[in-house]
Amino acid sequence: MRFELDGEQSLLQQSLRELLEKESSLEQSRPLMESSAEGYSKSFYRQLASLGYLGIGVPEDRGGAGAGYVALAAALHAMGRVALPGPILDLLEAIEVLRRLPGEEARRWCDRALAGDALVCLAHREPHSAREASPRTRIDPATGSIAGRKVFVPFGASADALIVTTDRGLAIAPRPDAGWDARPLETVDHAQRFADVTLAGPAVELAEGEDARCAVEGAERVGALDAAAFLLGMMERVLEMSVAYLKDRRAFGVPIGSFQALQHRAADMLLYTENTRAAVYRAAWSCDCDPESAALQVAAAKAYAGDAARFVCREGIQVFGGVGFTWEYDLHIFYKRTKMLEEFHGSTRDQLEQLLRVQGI
Amino acid sequence: MSLVVIDYEIVGGSDSPQGRTRAALDLRFSDAERAFRDEVRLWFETHLARPWSAELGDPSNTEDQLVAIRRSFQRSLCDAGYLGLDWPRQFGGQDRSIVDRVIFQEEFVRADAPPLPNFIGIQIFGPALIHHGSDAQRERFIPPMLRADEIWCQGFSEPSAGSDLAALRCAAVPDGDDYRITGQKVWTTMGPWADWTFLLARTDPEDRYGGITFFLLPLDQPGIEVRPLRQLTGDAEFGEMFLDGALARREHIVGRIGEGWKIANTVLAYERGVYEIEGPARNDRFLADLVRGLRESGALAYDDVRQRLARLFAENEAIRAAGLRMLAALSNGETPGEEASIQKLNWSEYARRQAEVAFDLLGDQAHLRRRGSGASVGVDWVYEHLFSLSGPIAGGSSEIQRNIIAKRALGLPTR
Repeated sequence: MRFELDGEQSLLQQSLRELLEKESSLEQSRPLMESSAEGYSKSFYRQLASLGYLGIGVPEDRGGAGAGYVALAAALHAMGRVALPGPILDLLEAIEVLRRLPGEEARRWCDRALAGDALVCLAHREPHSAREASPRTRIDPATGSIAGRKVFVPFGASADALIVTTDRGLAIAPRPDAGWDARPLETVDHAQRFADVTLAGPAVELAEGEDARCAVEGAERVGALDAAAFLLGMMERVLEMSVAYLKDRRAFGVPIGSFQALQHRAADMLLYTENTRAAVYRAAWSCDCDPESAALQVAAAKAYAGDAARFVCREGIQVFGGVGFTWEYDLHIFYKRTKMLEEFHGSTRDQLEQLLRVQGI
Repeated sequence: MSLVVIDYEIVGGSDSPQGRTRAALDLRFSDAERAFRDEVRLWFETHLARPWSAELGDPSNTEDQLVAIRRSFQRSLCDAGYLGLDWPRQFGGQDRSIVDRVIFQEEFVRADAPPLPNFIGIQIFGPALIHHGSDAQRERFIPPMLRADEIWCQGFSEPSAGSDLAALRCAAVPDGDDYRITGQKVWTTMGPWADWTFLLARTDPEDRYGGITFFLLPLDQPGIEVRPLRQLTGDAEFGEMFLDGALARREHIVGRIGEGWKIANTVLAYERGVYEIEGPARNDRFLADLVRGLRESGALAYDDVRQRLARLFAENEAIRAAGLRMLAALSNGETPGEEASIQKLNWSEYARRQAEVAFDLLGDQAHLRRRGSGASVGVDWVYEHLFSLSGPIAGGSSEIQRNIIAKRALGLPTR
C-alpha cells in the first residue's frame, strides 16, 4: 500500500508547475481575464496542447498519452495553483466525450481538440429544465440541422464547435461562419466566459440514446475529478499565501500568525486541504484501478472539495483582512473560481445526490 | 515552503519491483491482507454471540455485567491471537503489520463487538512499554493486559492540569528506593474497574517538563481511592483517583526519572494517528442505521434531507482517504507527525456532526433510548449524540490539536 505519486507522475507535475509559473502566473494571466475578449491566452493553450497536456488521460489509440487519471489529477492540481483561466476544464471534458465515441466525426474533432486546433465545449444546460429532463434541442437527422437554446455554454461565443445534447443523443455543431446567436453571460467568476446560445444551422450526430448517455456520463465523471483536483491546487495556493502573510504581517507589535484565533483558522485550512488531497488522489486511483468504486469516490471527492475550497478560499480573504477584499490582491480570483466550480463540472448538489444513488439509497 | 504532509512533488517511485508498472499510488490490500480480513470476519461471525448493541439493549445487563462481558470477550480475542497484532512477538505481540492491525480494528467495529475493557492500556500504555519499558516490565505487564486479567487506567489529567498537562502537581517523593505518590487524578476512564494505573507524577517541582516521571501503580493498596464520576451520558465509566502516599516501586518506573513528559508525548502522538483509523468503518454502520431510519419515516424522499445525509457520506469518504494515506505512510515505516492531529480532529469533529445530523433528520425517533429497552438492534442515537461531545475534549482537545498543527505543520510563530 502506497499513497504517493510515482516518478513519471511527479516529473510531469513538476514540469507543468514550472511551465505554469513561467508562462501563466497570475501576474501574466490576470490582465487577460479582466480585459481580453476570451479571458485567456490562446497561445498558451496551444503550447499546453503541443506538449501533450490535453491528452494525459486519453488512451493512446485515441491520440493521447494514456498516462491515467492519477497523472491527469496531478496536472489539474498544478493548474489550480495558478487558477489557470480559460476553458481548460471544459476542453478536457469535451475531449473525454469525443474519445468515448465511435465514428470519424468524433475522432476528427478529438484529434483537432488534442492538437490545440479547435476549442470544443459541451453545451448541455437548457433554460428552465430539470437535469434529468430530456433536452428540447432538436436535430433533424435528415437535413442535419439543429435548433434549440443552451444556457451557461462555456466559451459559447468563441468555441469552434459545441457538443450538444439533443432529443436524440449527441451532436456536434461547428460554429457557423456568422457565428451563433450567442449572448455573453456575466457571472461570478469574471475569468469564465459563458454564453446563452441559440443554436441554428448544421450539425452532425455523434451518438444516439444509450451510447450518448454513457459517453456523457463517463466524461462528466472525469470532469468532476478534474475540477476537484483543480480545487485542490487552488486551496493549496491560498493556504500558502495565507501562511506567508500570517508570518509577515505584524499588528500589536507581533506577527499576526501568533494569534491563536488566526492559527486555528489556518489549522482548519490545512485540514481541509489535506483531506481534499487524500480524497482527490484516492478518487483518481479508483478511476485507474478500481472502477467499481470510481463513481462513488469521484462524487465524494468533488462534493468534499467544493465545500472545503469554499472554506479555505473564504478564510484566505478573512486572514488578509482589508487587502483581501481588494481587486488588486489575488484572493478573489481563487474565491470566485471556487464558486464557479461548486456549481459547474458536477455541482455539489448533483454530486451529493449521485453519492446516495450509486449506493442504492 | 512545504505544507504538505506527504509531498507529491518530492516523492519518487523508482524502487518498484520488476515486472510491475511503477504504480506508487496503490491503495489495494495485498492478497495476504485480504485473506486476513476474511479470517477475522469469519472469527467474529462464529465467536460473537450477540452484537454489543444487543447487550446494551438487554435490560437485564447491569453495568458490572457489561464489563464482565467485555472482559471475557477481550480474553477470547487475545487467545485467538488478535491483540497486540503489530507488537513484537518477544513482547507478547503477533509480529504482524500495522495494516493487519487496522484491518482487525475495522472488522471489530463492523461486527459491533464489545469494546475492549483494556482499550486505554492497549492503545497508550502498551506502546509506552514497547518503546520505553524494560524487558522485565514488558514480560510482567503485557500478557495480563492483553488477556484483560489486569485492567489499566490512565493517570494523566488532574483538576488543574487538563490541556495544560505539564501543570500537573501530583507529587512523587522518594521513600528508600521507591516513591510515594500524593495528589489527585481525574477523567480516569475505566477507573472503577481498573487494577493498575500508569500515571504521571512530579519528581521535580522546579522543572516543568523534565520533572515529570512515568509510574506504574497497583490500585489495590492503602493510599489510593477511586470514586466513580458520572458523565453526562449517565455512565460512570470515568473515575476520580485520590492518592495519599501510595507506593510506586522503583522497578515500576517506565524510562528514567524525568522522562515522563517525553514518553507521554511520543506515545500520545503515535496513538492519536492510529487511534480511530477504523472510524469510517464504524461510521458505515451508523450511516446505514440512519438511512434505515429515514427510509422508515419517509424522510429519505426529501431533497434537503438527502443533501445533509450525503454530506456525511462525502465527509466520511474523505476522512477514510486521509486515513488510508496515513496508513500507507505508517506501513512504509514513516512516523506520523501532524497528520495525527488532523486525524484526531477528523474523527472527533465528524462524530459530533454525524450525531447532530442524525438528531435533526430522524426527529423524535432519535430521542428514544434503545439502551436497556429490550430493542435488539439499532444505534442508540441518544448515547452516540451525548458521547460524541467528549471526542473533541478527550485525548488532547480540538484546540490543542489546532495549536499543534499551526505550530508544527505551518510553522506559525509562538508568542
